[in-house]
Amino acid sequence: MAVTLEKGSESLSGGNGAQPLHFYRTIPPVPDLGRSVRVVGEVENVDMNQSPHPRNGRGELGKALFNLQHNTISKDPFIRVSAPNHFADRRHFLTNVVNQASKGQTNSRRVEVTDAEAMTRHIKAVAKHMGADIVSIAPAHPNIMYAGNRYVQDGTAEDAHEADTPEDLVRKFPYLIFVTTAWPYETLQAHRHHIGDSSYHVSQMKGNMILKAIEGYVKELGYTALRGVANPQGTALASGVGELGRNGLVISEKFGARVHMPDPIMTDLPLVPDKPIDIGVSDFCGVCRKCAVTCPTNSITFADKEKEKAPLSRDVSGFGEYNGIEKFKINWLTCYKLRPYTHEYWSSCLTCAAICPFTKPDKWWHTAAISWLKSTPIPARPLVVKTLKAIDDKFWGTIKQKRVQWLGYDSGIKPGEQACTVAGCTADHGAASKPVAGDVGYYFPLKENTNRFVKRD
Amino acid sequence: MKLGPITLPWGGGDSHKNDPYWDFFINTPPVDLENSAVEMMRRAPEGNVFPTKSELHTPEITSSHVKELGLYLGADVIGIARLEAGGDHDYPYGVITLVKADYDTREANGIGGQVPTQNALYVTFVLSAWMRELGYRATAVEDPDAEKLAAAANLGTLNAKGRLVTPQFGPRVHVGRVIRTDLPLAADG
Repeated sequence: MAVTLEKGSESLSGGNGAQPLHFYRTIPPVPDLGRSVRVVGEVENVDMNQSPHPRNGRGELGKALFNLQHNTISKDPFIRVSAPNHFADRRHFLTNVVNQASKGQTNSRRVEVTDAEAMTRHIKAVAKHMGADIVSIAPAHPNIMYAGNRYVQDGTAEDAHEADTPEDLVRKFPYLIFVTTAWPYETLQAHRHHIGDSSYHVSQMKGNMILKAIEGYVKELGYTALRGVANPQGTALASGVGELGRNGLVISEKFGARVHMPDPIMTDLPLVPDKPIDIGVSDFCGVCRKCAVTCPTNSITFADKEKEKAPLSRDVSGFGEYNGIEKFKINWLTCYKLRPYTHEYWSSCLTCAAICPFTKPDKWWHTAAISWLKSTPIPARPLVVKTLKAIDDKFWGTIKQKRVQWLGYDSGIKPGEQACTVAGCTADHGAASKPVAGDVGYYFPLKENTNRFVKRD
Repeated sequence: MKLGPITLPWGGGDSHKNDPYWDFFINTPPVDLENSAVEMMRRAPEGNVFPTKSELHTPEITSSHVKELGLYLGADVIGIARLEAGGDHDYPYGVITLVKADYDTREANGIGGQVPTQNALYVTFVLSAWMRELGYRATAVEDPDAEKLAAAANLGTLNAKGRLVTPQFGPRVHVGRVIRTDLPLAADG
């Protein structure tokens, strides 16, 4: 074994004395987040207590949303074990178990790291061994850190660094480990349906478990692992997981938009950070508007990046500067407010992720298309994008309507109707059951139904 | 196995031999068990059975759904055995989850060596919780006879040492907790 163990000093657990190997000499004024997101002004760190879920928890978004998130038991048995806040018994939701487990101590016998590159390869191999689909390392930067109280799922951070400012944390813990899982492609096709929920929630629970295991492993190596400190999207952009799309989602090279953005691990473990990537998302989103067309709540902007760039306020969508950052921004409020109207049919919308041309199975033709776009010089890219989008429209359609069957669920059954379409089932399901034919999936609600209550700006 | 730029899909063996920290990951047990996700899931209490039973299809189809969900959650092989009547419980069926194990989970006690245990616990936790939410009793337990049950469900055979050998992975397999349930199923084998 090539690892040498040395007794750590008292200061290790406090984090004041130990210096990571590749320490920032100076923190750069702005982080490099790639081409899709630019820091152009003063960034005020986001207080997670002002983000949608905590605001809803305080009842600030109205009764309907509060009751959905806090007083609603799902009628669907699988949603009751996989979706946050719709369980009948909270002990049945694995993420509760993982997030509420008491926190382990940092090992006082630290594994000394002499080769940060070897440790980086090791942490990536560890994450892959545990089943992660993407793992990357970001250099920490104050602009991608949260402000205010830490957003830790069990409500308490309980460590020596709770009172630290973002700058303090970045100096002490220069790296962010970003680990995530991808949503299975086939079940995602049934978005706005319980089948699509399973795609999202199963991979999310698995990702949370993997992150908790890696957090524990970093502590066992003898280094600090902090959660609830960094913005996951900022971390993903800085570490080259993907680029930010028109739909407000980080779009990855292998999986498109079907990746989770879970809470990264901030650490002083010596690592070598990755760099942002350019897979042509900002060129593609400048032309393609498939997510904006299909969004049931019109929360995604149609804005032209060049001609309609404008400063944005909190509750609007558009392209331009918001909180010092220039990007495509969605209207989170209208996106969020659809939920109470649909929870009998689904709990996670996923329309913009499913329709995105980048969201494809991880196959050679997908890799080939991205390589073509990547290797084209930027000024020539709009032509490639138009070609690729035409191919996408022709073969994958402008609306996702594929019929999917999974675990006895069938998106070929119209919302509100009852049918048993399981092959060979001889069980008696009563008189309401009707035969289902065709290859069309029905996804609630249809866009024409939502246009009534969320008008486009 | 690598032949210049071409990677062949066989051979290779342990691809971590250039990783100086891999042995620590696989074999060094955690100093603080609170750092182990396996321990968190192992100690988690089970919830209540949902008061209303869900409408089911036939036992054969329910079995196929249990297996479909188990595989979706990440099990590599899943089977259903009929349990002997009597003893310390009155559950008619046991669901057995197998996960491919690169390292023997009885010997490799590091966080890495226990990854198959972690994956199997993830499957049995969610699957048994789902069965309780369907309105049926289900409990995931460490069963000393799990390998015999796996053989009884035709998932493999027992070798001279009494260890399960599967056609897919040979002996490199971890047998997860057995989910005992009264959900109407159809046993394999």
